[in-house]
Amino acid sequence: MSIEIKNINKSFKSKKTDQLSVLENINLTIEDGELVCLLGPSGCGKTTLLRLIAGLDQPTSGEIVANGEVVKKPSGDRAVIFQQYSLFPWLTVLQNVTFGLEMTKKGSKEENIAAAERYLTSVGLIDFKDSYPHELSGGMKQRVAIIRSLLNHSPILLMDEPFSALDMQNRHKLQEQLIGVWKRFENTIVFVTHDVDEAVYLADKIVILDKNPGRIANIVDVDIERPRKRESEEFIALQEAIVKDLDMGD
Amino acid sequence: MYKNFKLSDLMLDNYRNKFIPLILPICIIIVWYLITEGLGMVNPYILPGPITVCQSAWSLILSGKLLTNTLDTLYKVFGGLILASIVAIPLGILLGWYKTLEDIATLVISVLRPIPPVAWIPFSILWFGIGMFPAVFIIFMGCVFPILVYTIDGVKRTDKVLIESAQTLGASDWNVLKRVILPSAVPYVVSGLKVGIGIALMCTISAEMVGSSSGLGYMILTATSLFDPGTTVVGMLDIGLIGIIFDYIFTKAQDRIFW
Repeated sequence: MSIEIKNINKSFKSKKTDQLSVLENINLTIEDGELVCLLGPSGCGKTTLLRLIAGLDQPTSGEIVANGEVVKKPSGDRAVIFQQYSLFPWLTVLQNVTFGLEMTKKGSKEENIAAAERYLTSVGLIDFKDSYPHELSGGMKQRVAIIRSLLNHSPILLMDEPFSALDMQNRHKLQEQLIGVWKRFENTIVFVTHDVDEAVYLADKIVILDKNPGRIANIVDVDIERPRKRESEEFIALQEAIVKDLDMGD
Repeated sequence: MYKNFKLSDLMLDNYRNKFIPLILPICIIIVWYLITEGLGMVNPYILPGPITVCQSAWSLILSGKLLTNTLDTLYKVFGGLILASIVAIPLGILLGWYKTLEDIATLVISVLRPIPPVAWIPFSILWFGIGMFPAVFIIFMGCVFPILVYTIDGVKRTDKVLIESAQTLGASDWNVLKRVILPSAVPYVVSGLKVGIGIALMCTISAEMVGSSSGLGYMILTATSLFDPGTTVVGMLDIGLIGIIFDYIFTKAQDRIFW
């Protein structure tokens, strides 16, 4: 499913000034099956943009078209994986994972449970299916959240710095797993991050945002072959170029 | 070696934790005994001694009066509490969910809430006469607001990220309410019920002292006018005991619900 972002402006009312402009004149097309990273310093409006794509907020002007339809409200087609942990604390891992399927009434109960168990097995969480979220580590919680969205067959995954609270080792592991599922399910992924390394590792296309007000500063295509190696020359070179680019913006 | 040490430490700790809360009650009973029956410093009509109280308790148990009056009070407490829950929980969900409705209701709630439940006694007698109903009404008035306010709070405090997650997983508004907001408000509702039951107990006793011919409040009041202070104290302790038991039950329930 492709996403077209057309002339998006977003401003909030603030106390000091009348209007605080967060995003200005954003135009961007995300192709079907593409993995795009929104990269930028904090306060550049990257999360706001993601929320607009999700339909959780409405733009001040402009429109977003996902799969031919203007985004007006949240939908099961565009799953969001939040930075904060977002599992339902009163449900077990298995119940959390099948939540979306129940909501969209896809499949029978037995089928859903079987599918959930298959997915949980594939990321090594099957032993925790009857655990509650508070019994899991941060990395496990985010993996369950991703599984929850994948199982729902959301063609678009919107991810808002989902790995930022994890330690480096876990973060790298989850990035690798994400690439794995993305290749398997061919979702369109929009991934918000402030981490250059993460963006270069994951993205087909890096959209660099500027702040005050947030606008697109640059779009970088990443042609490095997967699996990407962090120590390879081209990886390091691209990373340095982007860091330089970001510094200039400040 | 070290392990053994730790274990015995733990046991001592455990023992100490169970013992410490008992020290003060035991001291109070000793002092109480000394100034009343022990040294006779206080007239038994002003303050009955522990032995008198035990005798009163025993005869009240034997005659069945303690049980009937306790049950009578509990019926009223539960009657009022259940009625209050039936009204307050759905209303609280509605007001917590629809901001406009809350804005409409907020002034009325703010004015009615601080009125002490006992202030409704005159009207309760006028409207419901004497007996079970006026007491239930007063308990209702006492419990309905804490349960309502806690429920509204619980609904409003639902983590926004959970609501948005549900929406992006395809949940309809109705499912967001049923599957996200309700479960997440449950701990607050339980807290409201816990507060409500404490107030209900207080209200019952006051209500029974005025417009009633049964229950622990009635028993306390009549005993005092019959110069039977032992029974009065038994009634008071009985109420305290009921309070402790409810508190224990609700605390256990909260432990199970709070994630």
